[in-house]
Amino acid sequence: MSTIDQSMTHTSRHGLFAGYRGRRIREALQAYLFLFPGTLLLIVFNLLPVGYALYISMHKWRIQKGHFLAFENYLKALGEPIDVVWVVGGMGLLAAAWMVWRSITAGTSSWGFLLRAAAVLMLLFGGLALIVGFPNMLENGDDDLFKSLLTTFFYSLGTVPLQIVLSFLLANILFQNIRGKTMWRILYFLPYVTVAVASAAVWRTIFDPSRGVINTLLSLAGVAEGNLPKWVFEARGVNLLIGEWLGIEIPTWAAGPSLALVVIILYNIWTYVGYNTVIYLAGLGNVPTEMYEAARIDGASQWELLRHITIPLVSPTTYFLLMMGILGTFRAFNHIYVITTGYTLGFPQGTTMTTSILIFKHFWEGHRFGYASALAFILTGVMLSLTWVQNRLSEGRVFYG
Amino acid sequence: MASEPTTPTHIPQVYRSRGIVTRGLMYLILTLGAIVAVFPFIWMLLTASKTYGEHSQRKFWPVGLTAAPYANRPATQTIIVPLHSPTNDWHGAASSFSPHVEGSIPVQAVTPFVEELLRAKETSVPFNVLILALDSTNDEVQNYDRFILTMGSRIVEQFSTRIDLKEWGGPNYEGSARGRWGPHFEVIEAHPDHLVIKQGWNMLYMFFGNYFSAWKQANFAQYTRNSIITTTLTIAGVVITGTLAAYAFARMNFPAKGLLFTAYLATYMIPWTVVMIPNYLIIIALEDFFKQTFGIPNAWYNNWTALTIPFMVNTFTVFLLRQFFAQIPDDLFDAALIDGCGHLRFLTQIVLPMSKAPLMSVVIFNGIWAWNSLQWPLIVTSTPNWRPITVGLSGFITEAGAETQLIMAGSVITTIPILVLYFFTQKQFTEGIATTGLKG
Repeated sequence: MSTIDQSMTHTSRHGLFAGYRGRRIREALQAYLFLFPGTLLLIVFNLLPVGYALYISMHKWRIQKGHFLAFENYLKALGEPIDVVWVVGGMGLLAAAWMVWRSITAGTSSWGFLLRAAAVLMLLFGGLALIVGFPNMLENGDDDLFKSLLTTFFYSLGTVPLQIVLSFLLANILFQNIRGKTMWRILYFLPYVTVAVASAAVWRTIFDPSRGVINTLLSLAGVAEGNLPKWVFEARGVNLLIGEWLGIEIPTWAAGPSLALVVIILYNIWTYVGYNTVIYLAGLGNVPTEMYEAARIDGASQWELLRHITIPLVSPTTYFLLMMGILGTFRAFNHIYVITTGYTLGFPQGTTMTTSILIFKHFWEGHRFGYASALAFILTGVMLSLTWVQNRLSEGRVFYG
Repeated sequence: MASEPTTPTHIPQVYRSRGIVTRGLMYLILTLGAIVAVFPFIWMLLTASKTYGEHSQRKFWPVGLTAAPYANRPATQTIIVPLHSPTNDWHGAASSFSPHVEGSIPVQAVTPFVEELLRAKETSVPFNVLILALDSTNDEVQNYDRFILTMGSRIVEQFSTRIDLKEWGGPNYEGSARGRWGPHFEVIEAHPDHLVIKQGWNMLYMFFGNYFSAWKQANFAQYTRNSIITTTLTIAGVVITGTLAAYAFARMNFPAKGLLFTAYLATYMIPWTVVMIPNYLIIIALEDFFKQTFGIPNAWYNNWTALTIPFMVNTFTVFLLRQFFAQIPDDLFDAALIDGCGHLRFLTQIVLPMSKAPLMSVVIFNGIWAWNSLQWPLIVTSTPNWRPITVGLSGFITEAGAETQLIMAGSVITTIPILVLYFFTQKQFTEGIATTGLKG
C-alpha cells in the first residue's frame, strides 16, 4: 500500500503537464472501468446483503416482510436484555482486563501497580458478570441455539486438535528422506479434492450400521451383532457408550457428543488431514536448515530439535490451521447435510445440529428469515470473538521469524 | 525410537537418515495414513460394482470384478419371437393391466454365472423368457412402452424393462444379479405379429451396470451438463473480473484506490451465513423484476444466472492475481507504452501470457469450489433444469434409498471430473495451496 501512496503523491506533483494530466485522468477512468464489473458484483452480492441481513434480522420476516421488531429476534435467541448486558459486558471486561495486563508487561510504568489493580478488578467483575448473566441467558434464551453452539463446540474440539496433530506428524515424516514423496502427497490430498457430497455419501455407507464396512469388520473381530455401534443413527453421547462398554456409570451431563457427531468429526479429520499436511510441509520448508545444523552441533537430541526449533518455527502455520479449522467447523454445512440426508436436519434427535445447520433449518424449513438472520449475526459474533481470543492467546506464542 | 545421527551429510536435509527401525516405523505410519486416506475411494469403487445382493450380504469383493461373469459367453444370435394374444402361459404372473400381445424368447445358453444362479432356483437352460405383456399406447409396436419379461415357467425374477428399438434390454438386467449377467435382448425389427430380437451379452452393462442405472435413474446427464456449464461460467466470470480488478489495483493509479482496496479486503471477511438469506431475497427480487418488466419468467430463480453471477467475483482471486501482477517489472510496461500499447492491450497481450501459473491456480480452485457448491443451488433451484450434480446426488441418496450400489456409482460419476482435473494439475494444486494457504 505504501508504494501506491508514494506514486500518487508523485503524480500530483507533476500534474502541471497537461498531456500528462490528461493521461492520468484517462488512466483513472480506465481503472474504474476495469474495476466496475467486480465491484458491482461485490456490492450487490456481498456488501449490500450485510446491511440487508441486518435489516431482515430486525423484522418479523416469514417469506414476506412483517412488522419491525428492533432487536426482538436477537433477544429471542439470547434471552432478556439484561442477560445480554451482563454476558457481553462481562466478556468485554475480561477482554479489557487482558489488554490492560498485556500493556503493563509491555512497558512498565509508574502506573503499573494501579493498572494491575484495575486489571484484577476488571477480571473479577467480568467473571462475576458472566456468572450472574450466563445462567439467566441459558434459561431465557433459545435452547436450540445454545444446544447447537455446544454441538458446534464439540465438533470443533473433536476435529481441530486431532487434525492438526496428525497432519503435523505426517508432514514431519514426509519432510525427511522419504521415497515417493509426490505419491504420498497425492494420496493424502485425495480426500480434500473429492466432491464433498460424494465423499460424504461414501462415508454414510462406510458407517452404515447393518451393511457398512466398519461394522462388518467389527463383527468379523467378534463383536456380537447386537452390540455393533449404530453410528449415524446413535443419538446417545459417546462417553456414555464408552462408559457402558467399560461398565462405568456416566452422568448424563458428561455424555459428550453423540456417536453420529463423531462420525461427522471423523469425516472432517479424514478430509482435512491431507490439506493441513501440505500446508505444514510448506511451513517446514521455511525453517532455515542452518538452525538444525547449529543445534545439532550443540548436541541437541531429535526430540529437542522438534520441541525447540520445529514447533516454534512452524507456529504461524499451526495458528493459521487452527483458525481455519475452527472457522471451518463453524461454517460446515455440506457434509453434515449429506451424511444426515434423508432424515430431519440434525438427525438423530438434533445431536448433529450445529449452529450453521440450525440457521439453515430456520431459514429453509421454518421460513423464519428474520430469526435466521439474527442467528447468523450471533454466530458471526461468536466466531469473531473466538478469533479475537485466539489472536490474543497466540501473542508471544506464535513466532513470526 | 532408535535413531543414529552419526552419518554425516551435506544435502540440506532436516533430519539425517535414521536407523532401520525408525525408517520402518515412518513408512508404516505413512502407509497406514495412505490406507485410511484411500480406503473410502476403494470402497466406493468396489460397492459401485456390486449388485444389490452382494452389498446386502456384506460381500467385500464384487463378482463383477472377477472373470466369472465374462467367461464362456455363448454366441450372439438372432431370434424371431412370434407375438400372440394373451391367452396362454401366464404362469401366475401378475397382470395388473391388460396386455395386447405376448411372446416368448427362447434362451439356449447363459453365462456360467447365471447358470449357477438358475440352478439354485431349480431351473436350467433351455428356458423361455416370456414377454408377459407388451403394452402399447399405440397400435404400432414401435411405440410400446412396457415390456415385461420373466424367465422359465416359474417366475425367477420379474422386472419391467423399457426397450426401445435401438436399446439393449434384458430380463431385469437393471436390478439384480441374474439379469445383469444374463443375456440381453435388442429389438432389431418390430412387426405387428412378431419381433426380431438379437440375443447377446452386453459387456458394458455387465461391467458398468450400476453406472448406467444411476446415470439414467437420477438424470445425471442433465446434472453433469448443468454443473459443467455453471462451473465454466463461474470460472470465466471470476477470471475476467479478477484479472481486470487485480490489474487496476496492481498497475494503475486512480483516486480512492486505497479505499476501494480496503472495501475488497472487507468483503473477504464477510461470512457466507450472513449474506445467504439476503442473497436469496435479492435473487427473488431480481426474478420478480425481470418477470414484471421484461416478461421473462425464471430469469434468475431456477436458472444458471442465480447459480453463477453472484460468484463471478472472488476477492481471494483478486488478491492472488494482484500479488503476481505487481511483481511484473515497470520497465516492461514503459517499453510497451512507448510502442503505443494501452493498458488493456498490455494486460491481454503481455501480462496474461506471463501469468499462466497463477491463472491456473485460480481456475483450479474456483472450479473446485463451484463444482462443490451445494447449499446455494439447493436454495435457488427447485427443478432439475439447472440443478448441479451435487444437488442431484444428494437427492439421489434419498431416492435410491437402500440401493447403495447405485448411490456409490453416482458418487463416482460426481467425483470423476474433479479427480481427473486433480491428477492432471496435481503439482499446481498442492503448490498453489502451499503458497497461498487457501481457505478450508
